[in-house]
Amino acid sequence: MFLIGLTHYLILSAAVLCCGLFVMMTKRNAIGILIGVELVLNSVNINFVAFDRYRPDGGFDGQVAALFVIVLAAAEAAVAVAICMNLYKNINTIDVDRGDALHG
Amino acid sequence: MSADAIKFLTPDMLRLFSPELALVATLVVILVAPLIFGRSSRVAGWIALVGACVTIWLTLSVAGEVRGGGRSGLAPQSAAGMLILDNLSVYFKVILMLFMVGVTVLWFIGSSEKEDRGEEFFVLLVGSALGMVLMAGTLNLLMIVIAIELASLPSYAIVGFNKRNRLAAEASVKYVIFGGVCAAIMLYGVSLLYGMYHTLNVGDIAYSVVADLQSYRTVDVSGVAAGVDAMMPAARNMPAIGVALFCFFVGIAFKIAAVPFHFWCPDAFEGAQIEVTTWLSVSSKAAAMVLLVRLVDAFAAATGALPFAVQISSLSGIAWAIGIVAAITCTWGNFSAYKQDNIKRLFAYSSIAHAGYMMMAAAVVVHPASGASHSPIAAVLVYILIYVFMNLGAFGVAAMVAWRTGSESIDAFSGLGRRAPWIAVPMVCCLVSLVGLPPFGGFIGKLWILMSLGEAGGTLYWGLLIVAVLNTLVSLFFYLRIVKAMFFADDGLDAFTPSIPGTAMVNACAIVLVLLGVVFIQQPRDMANEYAGNLFRPNVLQQRDQRQAGGAPGSSHSEPIRLTHLDAVE
Repeated sequence: MFLIGLTHYLILSAAVLCCGLFVMMTKRNAIGILIGVELVLNSVNINFVAFDRYRPDGGFDGQVAALFVIVLAAAEAAVAVAICMNLYKNINTIDVDRGDALHG
Repeated sequence: MSADAIKFLTPDMLRLFSPELALVATLVVILVAPLIFGRSSRVAGWIALVGACVTIWLTLSVAGEVRGGGRSGLAPQSAAGMLILDNLSVYFKVILMLFMVGVTVLWFIGSSEKEDRGEEFFVLLVGSALGMVLMAGTLNLLMIVIAIELASLPSYAIVGFNKRNRLAAEASVKYVIFGGVCAAIMLYGVSLLYGMYHTLNVGDIAYSVVADLQSYRTVDVSGVAAGVDAMMPAARNMPAIGVALFCFFVGIAFKIAAVPFHFWCPDAFEGAQIEVTTWLSVSSKAAAMVLLVRLVDAFAAATGALPFAVQISSLSGIAWAIGIVAAITCTWGNFSAYKQDNIKRLFAYSSIAHAGYMMMAAAVVVHPASGASHSPIAAVLVYILIYVFMNLGAFGVAAMVAWRTGSESIDAFSGLGRRAPWIAVPMVCCLVSLVGLPPFGGFIGKLWILMSLGEAGGTLYWGLLIVAVLNTLVSLFFYLRIVKAMFFADDGLDAFTPSIPGTAMVNACAIVLVLLGVVFIQQPRDMANEYAGNLFRPNVLQQRDQRQAGGAPGSSHSEPIRLTHLDAVE
């Protein structure tokens, strides 16, 4: 008998979180880093929905929070991609290591 | 549940929420105005000014109703309110809107010297202001996240507002990537906290965390504290709580620009236009500081039912964490500022250092000394008030010099005392005030922080006090570099006449600083004491437990808790 419980969802979420952190730390491409951020936000959503499903008193804060996180992720992606476009127009690359004019 | 859910938007609640609604309306009007008046950034600027004034008026008109104690609302009746209106949020709203007026005026002064720059500037400015106002008025984790994002997203865009400028493009990319990563980590912390405590209300989470800490310290590791729901005992262990709280505070540290989450700050400030730098230097930090104070206060209030000795030990980890970060932030900011040549970058590090001073006071909030005459929250509020004027004045002068000379390096200031004495003298006032020397307001602001540190006593707070004093000495050198350039170096650059409104504004800031440092020393603190006095604390669990305890003999001799009136929606 194999039942899917909260722990399984949390392990899935932790795995997605680790993928996201790995991508954020290793990518030099700005869009790549943003994809890592999206992965972390997805692991947050899995967490929210799973915790909400398994809470004993039947509130739905977590489901609502997950919806808001989806909206936040979309808004952030829109702004971030626009800003990356702008960088590309200025220096013809979105490699974050090449953005070294500001330092010190 | 369904009946509650539709009843929570009562007219009464919406009236209390009217300042925020006014800001939303301002946003919409700025977006729609081009259809009527044609694209004009001046019209947008005037609308933003009017919107800020209306917001101040509405804030003051509802302020009287929360004088005796805060209210929360805009949530289903069974839940704790999503938004809080209390004295602290009223104070912050008024200060922030005054500062927005100042930044808009600075923009008008600049627009007479440069070409037209698009009305979207004000959409982004008002949008981030709305986010900051919400940050200062909530203790709901979801609302905190939304408010921080609402403040951040327009800030990312406004930093890169000058699209053809390579530095601005690079600054905004760094800002958005750093901000996105921090927000994601913060959200992960929030989801863990939700999983452990099944609520998004920080008041209840703080209460449960304190109960857990207490049981961890005194009873046993696996046991569940009495009076706390045994919702998920397995998940409640110290490493998980530590990770969740750490992740959560990453997001706030990012907004404060506390070391080691400060890397965006110098780059974003250097790349952005100088009005944007002025705006971000105060507002984003002040909003995050008010939020931090509120959060820490929620934790401190949750310990209120405990005996005093347990109170001290149960949250000393949080106090030490905030204190050490504050000390490092402050020291790092001051030492890094020393080697900067770009004036905006120098002020970026200076603002990091000032955030460190304010965080020191936030560390004191953890252990409220009973009967303390120097409230740390009031010290933070006075500091924010004075910091607004110091930065507006200093940035105003820096902006006028930069617009005239086209250079943002400190060399552009050389001989300013001869070239434009009317802005050089107020600049000296602002700089000396930023150092924190009498007879200016900055000294008084720092004094209250040091007094609250000294009064709290203990190793940590005396250590922080010494760090703050030593940092003041260090900061003297880099601020005085600008003074030295203005009065003791002269490269024979051309004299110029700065614009009259700009000169008036920076002189007004300098005069206010002198008044705050000489004449009105006590008044801002009295006012701040009043505004910091009764924070709203949505502690549903704590109140329920007290009711259940029913004045049991065990709780009668402990610290009396200031009862929040959790206000029913109707």
